[in-house]
Amino acid sequence: MYKYILRRLLQMIPVLLGSTFIIFAMVFALPGDPTAGMCGERPCAPAFVAKFRLEHNLDDPLPTQYAKYMVNVAQGDLGTNFRGIKVADELKTRYPTTAKLAGMAIIFETIIGVFAGVLAGIRKGRFVDNLVLVSTLFVIAIPIFVIGATLQYYLGVRWKIFPVTVSPEATFYELLLPAFVLGSGSIAYVARLTRTNLVENLRADYVRTAVAKGLTRRRAIGLHTLRNSLIPVVTFIGADFGGLLGGAIVTERIFNIQGVGGYTFSSLHNHDGVAVVGTVTVLVLVFLLANLLVDLLYGVLDPRITHD
Amino acid sequence: MTTSETMARASAKSSGHTYAPKDGLLLQVADLHVEFHTPDGIARAINGVNFDLYEGQTLAILGESGSGKSVTAQAIMGILDMPPAVIPHGQIRYCGEDLLTMDPEQRRRTRGPEISMVFQDALSSLNPVFPVGWQIAEMFRVHRGMNKSDALERAVKLMQRVQIPAAKERVKAYPHQFSGGMRQRIMIAMAIALDPAVLIADEPTTALDVTVQAQIMALLQELQEERQMGLILITHDLGVVADVADKIAVMYAGRIVERADVFDLYRKPAHPYTKGLLESIPRLDQKGQQLAAIGGLPPNLMRIPNGCAFNPRCKYAQDVCREDRPALLEVVPGRESACHFAEEVLNG
Repeated sequence: MYKYILRRLLQMIPVLLGSTFIIFAMVFALPGDPTAGMCGERPCAPAFVAKFRLEHNLDDPLPTQYAKYMVNVAQGDLGTNFRGIKVADELKTRYPTTAKLAGMAIIFETIIGVFAGVLAGIRKGRFVDNLVLVSTLFVIAIPIFVIGATLQYYLGVRWKIFPVTVSPEATFYELLLPAFVLGSGSIAYVARLTRTNLVENLRADYVRTAVAKGLTRRRAIGLHTLRNSLIPVVTFIGADFGGLLGGAIVTERIFNIQGVGGYTFSSLHNHDGVAVVGTVTVLVLVFLLANLLVDLLYGVLDPRITHD
Repeated sequence: MTTSETMARASAKSSGHTYAPKDGLLLQVADLHVEFHTPDGIARAINGVNFDLYEGQTLAILGESGSGKSVTAQAIMGILDMPPAVIPHGQIRYCGEDLLTMDPEQRRRTRGPEISMVFQDALSSLNPVFPVGWQIAEMFRVHRGMNKSDALERAVKLMQRVQIPAAKERVKAYPHQFSGGMRQRIMIAMAIALDPAVLIADEPTTALDVTVQAQIMALLQELQEERQMGLILITHDLGVVADVADKIAVMYAGRIVERADVFDLYRKPAHPYTKGLLESIPRLDQKGQQLAAIGGLPPNLMRIPNGCAFNPRCKYAQDVCREDRPALLEVVPGRESACHFAEEVLNG
């Protein structure tokens, strides 16, 4: 078990190195000049440009730039972005907001998704089942920015039920609607996954045994069937956490949330490689750790799986 | 209420049973029909099955796949998926009470304490995510309201009773950590936990290898004698029933075609189908010869032939067999056969 965890942690090193390099190279390859537009309506003075490029190692070849960056990272320094703010400080203020948003989305996903899936699964082929299947297909088919903008307009602007945008404090209430929007696609997937697994497991021999044991329907389904059906769902939800953090870019733009997503977007826009790589590296790390956690949880949920 | 009835009730109460059999008669299946309504049509799986089961009796139901033997068991147990299954006619009386018209909650309470079942594939029939001891203990917790530790203690005792080595240590193990034979023992322990009056074993040894088969059958027989249960043994294996069963009912296309005591039936079958089955058992003295088999295939349950369902495959078939369905009638005392030529088969 400990060996397994150690092995998985060691495996993260090449993944992190690889992903940071790819992102670094992609930002490097972006066309355009980062100093363009920095000095208002006119081009920047050549002296300023030269100094800026030197400070940020922009004239070095890519491998050198990357190596210099990684040496700093290894010392715990995520670097300074083009606006002279330490990336680590930015992330410290922004990650909690995004994590809160993604966490709330996960809660929506779990509660609504599992509930809808169970309802559809035990009433397979009936009205509720069809309602869930059609509505989830609808949600999956519509891009998230359409869902976000539509809900923002109706629930926020017209009916004024929820705040239209989110303040820098990002309170629980303000984040409700954005979290729902962020989690909408996953809610649909979780509902469908739960339904499919439940329907499949309801036909399983051990459920027949549970009924033959004289258990109530509630216990046979709620305990015996659901316990088995939810194993893949838990896996999906866990792995989805990382996806939601990354997926928050669009949602954060729509609701003007001061999170990681907005920061990544503007940094990308400014060709601010150091900021982008720093943000994404942390994202990758969270994703990898979440996956490790899910794999360990899998072993707890399903005793047939062992990590030796 | 007569005195004997009162006494029977009293003894039933003390043993934890709500129902008491009259003159030892536990189960009466009368004119049972089961149909499956599918998009392709109606499959008539059971077409009028009748039998009685007494305390301490072992009834073997023999038949090939699709003959309706498992469906009969599931109908008695009340675990058919309805729909698609429909029971248009028939009665299943347990100690005089018709299970089919019983209130569902009342019927649920009979599963386990009164009637219970052992399934074919113990690996898939046990829940993979719960320890075996927990699954046995669940019987006591749900039906007897016992607390966790008492129920688990009873589970250990049951595991010891079905001869699982180191039961105390293995009570927390999961089904996949046991061998096939041990898993089937767990299934049996679970089924007999509440001391049921009727035990249905649906092909309990089919998934096991031959040496283990014999051990499991011996265990079932031992438990049956110890507790005087009525045992319904469902199988397609003629060898399995020979030692254990008192009576055999042979099923074909959803009907019982022959019923007799075990030895009579093996010595001299009174139905051409039974005869064909017995002839198809490989024997050592036939080494090198072609194995006898019944020609043709079992009928499609959506289109069961007119007359005798077996007539397209039968050597004895005459015109009468294609028009007139033979009833299950006594040929000689204690022997019943549903064949127009039962006597010829019996004597031929």
